[in-house]
Amino acid sequence: MKRLSLAILLMALGTAAEAQQPAPGATVVEIPPLTSPDSGTRGNEMLQIGWEATQLIASDLGQTSELMPLKPKREDYVSYPEVTAPSFGKWRPLGAKLLLTGFVQSRSDGRIAIGCYVYDVSKGTELARKGFVLPKSDWRRAAHKCSALAYTAVTGSPGMFDTRIAYVAESGIGDSKVRRVAFMDSDVANNKFLTTGNSIVLKPRLSPNASQLAYVSFDTGKPAIKLLDVESGKDRPLLPIDAINFAPRFSPDGSQIAFSMMLGPNSDIYVVGSGGGVPRRLTTSPAVDTDPSFSPDGSKIVFESDRSGSQQLYVMNADGSGQQRISFGPGAYASPEWSPDGQWIAFTSRNQYGRRIGIMKPDGTGETFLTNGPADDSPTWAASSRELMFARLVQGGRSMLYRVSVDGGQPQQVTIPQDGSDPDWSGAMD
Amino acid sequence: MRKTIFFLTLALAAGSVQAQVLPFLSKRGPQPPVVQGIDAERAEFAAQSGGTTVYYAPGNAVLTPQSRAVLTAQAAWIRRHPEVVVRIEGYGDTGDTRDHALAIGAKRAEEVRDYLVLMGVPMAQVSTTSWGGERSGLGRAVTILVR
Repeated sequence: MKRLSLAILLMALGTAAEAQQPAPGATVVEIPPLTSPDSGTRGNEMLQIGWEATQLIASDLGQTSELMPLKPKREDYVSYPEVTAPSFGKWRPLGAKLLLTGFVQSRSDGRIAIGCYVYDVSKGTELARKGFVLPKSDWRRAAHKCSALAYTAVTGSPGMFDTRIAYVAESGIGDSKVRRVAFMDSDVANNKFLTTGNSIVLKPRLSPNASQLAYVSFDTGKPAIKLLDVESGKDRPLLPIDAINFAPRFSPDGSQIAFSMMLGPNSDIYVVGSGGGVPRRLTTSPAVDTDPSFSPDGSKIVFESDRSGSQQLYVMNADGSGQQRISFGPGAYASPEWSPDGQWIAFTSRNQYGRRIGIMKPDGTGETFLTNGPADDSPTWAASSRELMFARLVQGGRSMLYRVSVDGGQPQQVTIPQDGSDPDWSGAMD
Repeated sequence: MRKTIFFLTLALAAGSVQAQVLPFLSKRGPQPPVVQGIDAERAEFAAQSGGTTVYYAPGNAVLTPQSRAVLTAQAAWIRRHPEVVVRIEGYGDTGDTRDHALAIGAKRAEEVRDYLVLMGVPMAQVSTTSWGGERSGLGRAVTILVR
């Protein structure tokens, strides 16, 4: 009995220690509370925003596998001059490699200025700095950009903190499931629903600046793509025709949408201007060609086709020429998405091991599996190209969103107001 | 004779609509379960065509000989009822990815439509859609009498 309780104690200690334990190779970051040059009531208000921003930055960086923020403490307060001239001796003993300082200042025009500085503690050098002027209510965006500043300083990759995620919010199960297109910041703030839930909706895809969404709606009785303006919530059909069409994707410059459309029993890939026009057909195989995704330079499209007898991934030029198969493993490959840095293609693999998320190079080499399934689908890249979000079916047919790093590690569930599927992660916002 | 039945059906259908609309009729309590209108036609269609549903092997949209027999009977019935419109609803397979399931469902529905048209059903009487993997009842295509 005694041994059992000891074991439990040890386990509890183990978990607590693990939570503090940085991932191997993670860079430890110290973040003293963002300070303010202001005084009086206004100073207090700015300090309060600074403290909330500090916690948000720590939370952002804590979700990455590359950085490990120390828990912010109010008593680590630094003076305003120390923001640009930190006393490194004070921080070295804490074991942090990186120091992030910053300030929040009120301006006479009612807006606020937020500045962030990233330092290498051991070398005592500044790595990066950035300042933002924005409405007070938008302080979260500046905090996300400060997170990105530190993240980029360590990884060289763009941060994915000030980004948006579109997904399908689900409630209920089975045929009575209610599904709505939803939209939120990547830290799950500002979640809003963009459709009413009267009809099934699938696969929302954001335009590059996240101002528009293409998604599939069943409200006419057959699946068809609609374009929705995020700000106004107004939507319209992408095509003025009766054919079944689905799997939309914006081109990287936002000018075109690739999608698949049924012509008789044949699903092929087409492109059309996002403002309208006549669809241009890119594939002509009698098999099912679907799920197109552009390369970041817009010159190529990866898609899936079952023309070989099973679903496999193919790459073609954006005009449909030069179609080449890139996946050759057992079972089926589907739902490809090209990474923002162009180096990888994420996919869903379906075989005797279930449905799992993996990545491969655009030439088909370097295949690596990131999840164990058994019912994962719809991988979407973070702007950093170092992390993916995907949907996982769990017991009872419910669908949840998860994040996983390309370096491996356990997928982490994303806490959202309802169940979720079909995530689409935007690029970094300017 | 066929015309008479047609008008009779129309009259019945109209009657059933009235029964639902007029409030003094509904006050008389629950109606006896007389199947009429579109429900009666659906029942007759299902009975005389050997079923409304055809099934597929996983991953394909190829009609089996049994499916062809069912569809031949469906076509004969629909040809005898030029007043009806049917919708073919195709489904994908368990475990398939979303978009492939949508495409396979659509393909299955189109294969059924093509066969019905081959058997002499006018195109205008048949529409198609796909539920992919989004509704229960995977691996099949169903012919539904719309009106």
